[in-house]
Amino acid sequence: MARHLTRRSFLKAASIAAASVPLSKIAAQAQPGVVRAPLAAPGTFKNTQTVVGGLCEMCFWRCQMVGKIRDGRLIKLEGNPKSIDNESALCARGNAGVKMLYDPDRLKYPMRNVGSRGAPKWQRISWEEALDTCAEKLKAVIDRDGVQSVCMFPHGSSSRYPNQFFQRTVGTPNISESSFYQCRGVRDLAYMVTTEIPPNEDVDMANAKVIFLLGCHFGENIHLSHVKQYVRGLENGAKLVVVDPRYSASAAKSHIWVPIRPGTDTALLLAIMNYLIQNDKYDIDFVERYGEGFEDMAEGIKEWTLEKAAEECDIPAAQIKEVADLLAAHMPHVAIHPGRFSTWYGNDFQRGRALACLTGILGAFGAKGSFVSAQNPRGITNIRWPMGDEQVDSLQRILDVHHFTPPGTPTELIRDAALTGDPFPIKACVIWGQNLIQTLPNQARTIKMLEQMDFVMCVDIMPTDITMFADILLPDCSYLECYNQIKTGTQWDLAEKHQQFITARMPVAPPGFERRDNVWITNEIAKRLGYGDKIPAQTQEELNDKMLAGAGLSLAQLRAEGGIHIQPGVDDPYGLDDDFIVHFFSDDLDWDGYPPIPTYIPVPRAPEGYYRLLAGRSPLHTFNRTQNNSWLMAENDTNPVWVNDKLAARLGLKDGDEVSLVNQDGIESRTTTTVKVTPGIREDAVYMYHGFGSMSPDLSIGYNKGVDSQSLITKLAVDPETGTHALRNNFVKLVKIS
Amino acid sequence: MQFGMIIDINRCVGCHACVIACKAEWEVPAQFNRNWVHRLGPSMTSAGMAYTYYPGLCNHCADPPCVPVCPADPVRMTMRDARSGKTVTMEVSATWRDPFNGTVQIDTARCIGCGACRDACPYDARYINEALADETSLGKADKCTYCMPRVAEGLEPSCVQTCLARARIFGDLDDPDSEPSQYVKKGAVGLTSDAVQIGPHGLYFGSKKADMELLMQSAPQEMPVVSLRRGLMTKMSLTAKNQVKELGLLGLAGGLLIKSLQDDKKDKE
Repeated sequence: MARHLTRRSFLKAASIAAASVPLSKIAAQAQPGVVRAPLAAPGTFKNTQTVVGGLCEMCFWRCQMVGKIRDGRLIKLEGNPKSIDNESALCARGNAGVKMLYDPDRLKYPMRNVGSRGAPKWQRISWEEALDTCAEKLKAVIDRDGVQSVCMFPHGSSSRYPNQFFQRTVGTPNISESSFYQCRGVRDLAYMVTTEIPPNEDVDMANAKVIFLLGCHFGENIHLSHVKQYVRGLENGAKLVVVDPRYSASAAKSHIWVPIRPGTDTALLLAIMNYLIQNDKYDIDFVERYGEGFEDMAEGIKEWTLEKAAEECDIPAAQIKEVADLLAAHMPHVAIHPGRFSTWYGNDFQRGRALACLTGILGAFGAKGSFVSAQNPRGITNIRWPMGDEQVDSLQRILDVHHFTPPGTPTELIRDAALTGDPFPIKACVIWGQNLIQTLPNQARTIKMLEQMDFVMCVDIMPTDITMFADILLPDCSYLECYNQIKTGTQWDLAEKHQQFITARMPVAPPGFERRDNVWITNEIAKRLGYGDKIPAQTQEELNDKMLAGAGLSLAQLRAEGGIHIQPGVDDPYGLDDDFIVHFFSDDLDWDGYPPIPTYIPVPRAPEGYYRLLAGRSPLHTFNRTQNNSWLMAENDTNPVWVNDKLAARLGLKDGDEVSLVNQDGIESRTTTTVKVTPGIREDAVYMYHGFGSMSPDLSIGYNKGVDSQSLITKLAVDPETGTHALRNNFVKLVKIS
Repeated sequence: MQFGMIIDINRCVGCHACVIACKAEWEVPAQFNRNWVHRLGPSMTSAGMAYTYYPGLCNHCADPPCVPVCPADPVRMTMRDARSGKTVTMEVSATWRDPFNGTVQIDTARCIGCGACRDACPYDARYINEALADETSLGKADKCTYCMPRVAEGLEPSCVQTCLARARIFGDLDDPDSEPSQYVKKGAVGLTSDAVQIGPHGLYFGSKKADMELLMQSAPQEMPVVSLRRGLMTKMSLTAKNQVKELGLLGLAGGLLIKSLQDDKKDKE
């Protein structure tokens, strides 16, 4: 063989003859030309194409991203360098979006369930057949029982357009979104009733002197720019108060940790307010100018002495006083966080009211470092499905209950109606991006509700638990493959140059297989149901261009601007409108027979031998949504149950013991987990990450990993004002397996 | 120049983004990590309750025990300082400490995958990717490079770029004005113990005594003992394997070569 053998000539030689030549010798001689698989990855920063317009939806904070593409394949996601929100950063989940995109378990084709609901057998069908079936089944139910016989469970960006179609054009009020009814709706309504403005999480933590968190646990909850505000606030010297039964990631950074008895938060807030009022340590000018019904509230909460709250909350009176004095010393520059996930105990509306009222008496609305409403860009056109001819009363209206609901209908009312047929039957179910098995308490009721349906259709990106109950299962585009969200905002630190941004989600990868976007799927169903003339936009691009047009923008323009349009912000982000008001006493609540001033309503305590089940977040997961992501699961694939060290000693449990959990109704977890023994939790509660223990075997990584905390929540409690679910009123005992 | 990484645990919120960004940047298999975040606590310390994080990565030590144990045949390698243009020629095995920037690097092509370097590291910063085994190796050692290829292009290490809290601060510890050096003055420390004093350049800063006490419990307490025999055995076994292979694997290997030639053709087109 020639010494300087080229690969091409070797190929010739090898293919002609040379059958008996030992290969390793040839390889050694031919070394300069032999191509080996690259042993060292080249990195994603070179020889890649950068695609702008990514808008994350691993969670719902929606950070702005760019995608790095090599050989037509997305290999990395990074914060869009133009972002004034998340900037160059992404969280673990955002970084792991690549693995969601190419997850081999993802839904690929429309499918028909030829098995049964809950034990599906999937048969691939054409889109034509799938859409025809959906329309025919929906139409049959509507024709027989009316539009109110359809219910819908949406979640996420993709579901907004179909949600509007079913709600406005078809006309069913039976729409229940987990982001409201099992998450933040109760907080929203509490603030809306108190201050007439939606709260979001508009607290200027970066510039606060005190940050007050009640149940918020930044570090476990990673809403990126929000956590940046929090970290900067701490760096700038803010004092941090964390009220939590558990020594959370935030408690670990706190100056005062208040390990409160679960369920008693409102008592604490009332005592703080009462103490501040009794000692004239509140913002008298602010209350006089903006407050309404202050005297009524002051009078009504008089009973809440420090000592009474100390007893109820199981914390020292001196600590309550310490917190109150700290807040008073720094008012109005105190960030009282409204919370996000807030459907806890069924007395949550009152807690939200108390938080808003506490913010009010501290004058902590509109001031630097306090609650400051975001001054986002205006002008995005609201392109919506038109209202249909038929308007049906919602269940809460018919039943005259829950007079302060977030958008949609309380989930429990829908389940009740479906299960009883009263006041009307509900026989068709559209599920769009929501995994009801993991979002709703009492899984048996959810399954019964689905079993009695004539038709269940499901649109999702992954074979989540709920997809097992679909008759027709449709593969959606993920957030990396479509246009379905416009996001506006400001720079994350109000102390920096005032800027605003407008961005729209644009695909960083083409949809694989037969996945279709939300606009296409909805329009195709609409046409088949006879609403073709009502379609507001023929394509997702058209819809977004029409919405952006109001702000003088288009998708093409945004793309040319690097995915994000930046414009000057308002001159002064602080201050309040003249008509801003804080309803310490609410006439509206009074009128409907609810407590008009913030009121503490006790909840049941754990029975002997049981412990309250608290569930929260892993920073590596967005509850169940990310449970099949190979990178995230490699980092965190189970949810150990936190048990107080003294309690563990009494129960004979050691760190790492394997246990199952059994709740007060005798329901046992399908899977097991391990015990994490720690002093960082009260003795009357145990804690675990929510979202684990998927029951869908089609999730080859996530199936049966850890314990499904939702499966243990069977006893229902519903917040009376809002109809939102309480998810922390169940109790468990631990059964040692090994 | 000595590159180093400060981890400010006051800022770190334990989000693990650094771990996943690194996986994406360097195509690290899901089951391995070039860096990690260990969640510590909540536990009681002498200074009260603590709950913190140990974001770890290769410490690019001043006296790296992973380097001398490498049994790969040494070669003479000329290294060039990008800034001064100076060159140094050294005899190195498949892993070495860079004379100009103080980082510890691996030549994957010459690594035989014996695992000696992995076993020698008290911080457990290296792994062997057995999926990359070939006729000259049992796999390939891999670890954090401080993202030198990115840094050479003027970029930050991938973990630094993605850190929302700016808890990772990368730079030159020899430059007294650098941000990492300011942290050293404030008291940033490596995870060392009585037995493990090898000059780590990953340094940790936290102002809460309880956090630092808990974090320091992650410091390795003993130096691993690595037998040099293991590397030699690996080399011998590889030689034996190759002798066996020579007896008739041309079909298989020829197929691989043909594929690589086809790929080559594609590249050219």
